[in-house]
Amino acid sequence: MKHFKLPDLGEGLPEAEIVEWHVKVGDTVAVDQVLVSVETAKAIVEVPSPEAGTVAKLFGEPGDIIHTGEPLMAYEGEGDDSGTVVGELKKDDSETRTDTFIIGAAESSKRARANRSSVRTRSLPKAEPLRGTRRTMAKNMAASHAQVVPVSIFEDVDVGDWKSGTDITMRLVQGIAAACETSPVMNSWFDGESLSRRLKDEVHVGIAVDTPEGLFVPVLRDVNHRTMVDLRKGLKNLREAVATRKIPPAEMQGATITLSNFGTMTGQYANPIVSPPQVAIVGAGAIREKVVPYHGKPAVRRILPLSITFDHRAVTGGEASRFLGALIAALEAA
Amino acid sequence: MSASKSRDVTLVEAVNMALAWEMEHDESVVVLGEDIATNGGVFRATAGLKDRFGFKRVMDTPLAENLIAGTAIGMATQGLKPVAEFQFMGFIYSAMEQIVSHASRMRNRTRGRLHCPLVYRAPFGGGIHAPEHHSESTEALFAHIPGLRVVIPSSPQRAYGLLLAAIRNPDPVIFLEPKRIYRAVTQSVENNGDALPLDTCFTLREGSDLTLISWGASIMETLEAADLLAEQSVSCEVIDVGTISPLDRETLLCSVTKTGRAVIVHEACRNGGVSAEIAASIAEGAYLELKAPVIRVTGYDTVMPYYRNEQAYLPQVEDIVEAAKRVIAL
Repeated sequence: MKHFKLPDLGEGLPEAEIVEWHVKVGDTVAVDQVLVSVETAKAIVEVPSPEAGTVAKLFGEPGDIIHTGEPLMAYEGEGDDSGTVVGELKKDDSETRTDTFIIGAAESSKRARANRSSVRTRSLPKAEPLRGTRRTMAKNMAASHAQVVPVSIFEDVDVGDWKSGTDITMRLVQGIAAACETSPVMNSWFDGESLSRRLKDEVHVGIAVDTPEGLFVPVLRDVNHRTMVDLRKGLKNLREAVATRKIPPAEMQGATITLSNFGTMTGQYANPIVSPPQVAIVGAGAIREKVVPYHGKPAVRRILPLSITFDHRAVTGGEASRFLGALIAALEAA
Repeated sequence: MSASKSRDVTLVEAVNMALAWEMEHDESVVVLGEDIATNGGVFRATAGLKDRFGFKRVMDTPLAENLIAGTAIGMATQGLKPVAEFQFMGFIYSAMEQIVSHASRMRNRTRGRLHCPLVYRAPFGGGIHAPEHHSESTEALFAHIPGLRVVIPSSPQRAYGLLLAAIRNPDPVIFLEPKRIYRAVTQSVENNGDALPLDTCFTLREGSDLTLISWGASIMETLEAADLLAEQSVSCEVIDVGTISPLDRETLLCSVTKTGRAVIVHEACRNGGVSAEIAASIAEGAYLELKAPVIRVTGYDTVMPYYRNEQAYLPQVEDIVEAAKRVIAL
């Protein structure tokens, strides 16, 4: 059976009362033939047949109330058994389609996701890998930071009695050599793995040199056994070699203690980094005039600020402090 | 039985086809619900099943949703795979106690000794001129419950594949059928027992300017909007979320990373809707790729109106097109 449901008779009226049937079961009806008269709240309405067919069943007698959407009558034949009197389902009136879809993301979307820049580097310039001396510096500094237990001491040196034209680096190198005799442990190599140390007879001073390419530390060798003239010549050669970048790698190995003379630029005090296996480094700041007590009275004197950092695994505070005292004494000599 | 035959089916017929396939191939599958056996279901989803598989596997229940849900849990924990029908989603709330307090947490509560391989089917959504309680879309309630999968097919093919997967899933699945499109599309579906994944979105249309995200019946309006926008040279990617819990954020993020724009469409009211979860996920995972705010096109925060006003409530094609133009203009 195919059901014919009471259609909306207008103005959203929810129900109608059957007044009179104009057909009976078994009748053949034509399209638009009047089937039934119903009375709504507004009027008596004649309901036409939506299709041709044979009447199979009438739902309700005159006087019965039929709600909009409820079966009113049925035709013979197979109906579209939609089953429900609740609502109306939209029916497909087009031809059959095949369903095409991608399970998950489209390849173009996956590529976009894979190629997106990460949150942190977005809008920053591409990272530039470090090379050469800068790369070496990064590695050495990290290695030092990971091993060394650094302690720094600071002190001022009155260099007011120096003659004009004194080569400051030369004086510092000589002072370090003298101080190493007072505190030999400052001129040693320490092995943190085996917890052993080697005291060094010769003092090989690594001299930190700043260049556009990075930090170079050429080694001025055996400073405690060489003549002043010889040292001057050696220092001059090293500086030239660094400036022209012609220094062989061997010339930058074997330092037993390091001097960082950053006073040639700006800065007074620092915590210079000890480079293992060395145990100490001396930092020399910029000389400046200061008002200081001098023979019991204020005086303007030239002051050299000194910083020393030592590896407290290998060196005691006392040893370092005595080293500093000896270095100052050597420097203050005119 | 002629297996693996291609049939032209509507979405509701695909549901019936999937149920029949799985009952044929797995004797532990049973179906139960109000008027589903002798009558064949209010929408005919279970038509013919009782004649084919007998009243022991196709059961009419009393009009008692709490009983339907609880009975299914008992069956599921003891070795059956029940597929229980709630006649309309609007009737499901008296069963919430069973669903939320028992089905969803059975595996956890018993430390894995019992599990609950059941499916709760329910037609949902408006647009069919139905009375009160027959039209709402409250899928977000279930998406919020850990331990439940919430699956919403939007085509005959996906209804078939997802329902098979839902029945085979070892934990409870809420399977919501968009009744407005139960018969709106006919597709050729291979009746071969192939399931679709229960944790993956479906990309219905590939595009580059804008991602339209939807599920359920709104997929129809969304696809239509994509067609209209294509005529105006706006290339839309259309994603059917399919399973709203667990949410396939990866697919959504891939697409939005590509397009930089997203409009989310759903029939449910806006406040606390699943679109909010999707928008938040996009903000968390693709913020720097976004070229415009994520826009939602949804129903209103009101009770679903009676049918004379339901079209005013439901997101229309022009609403989606207008929202798309707004984000494109930004």
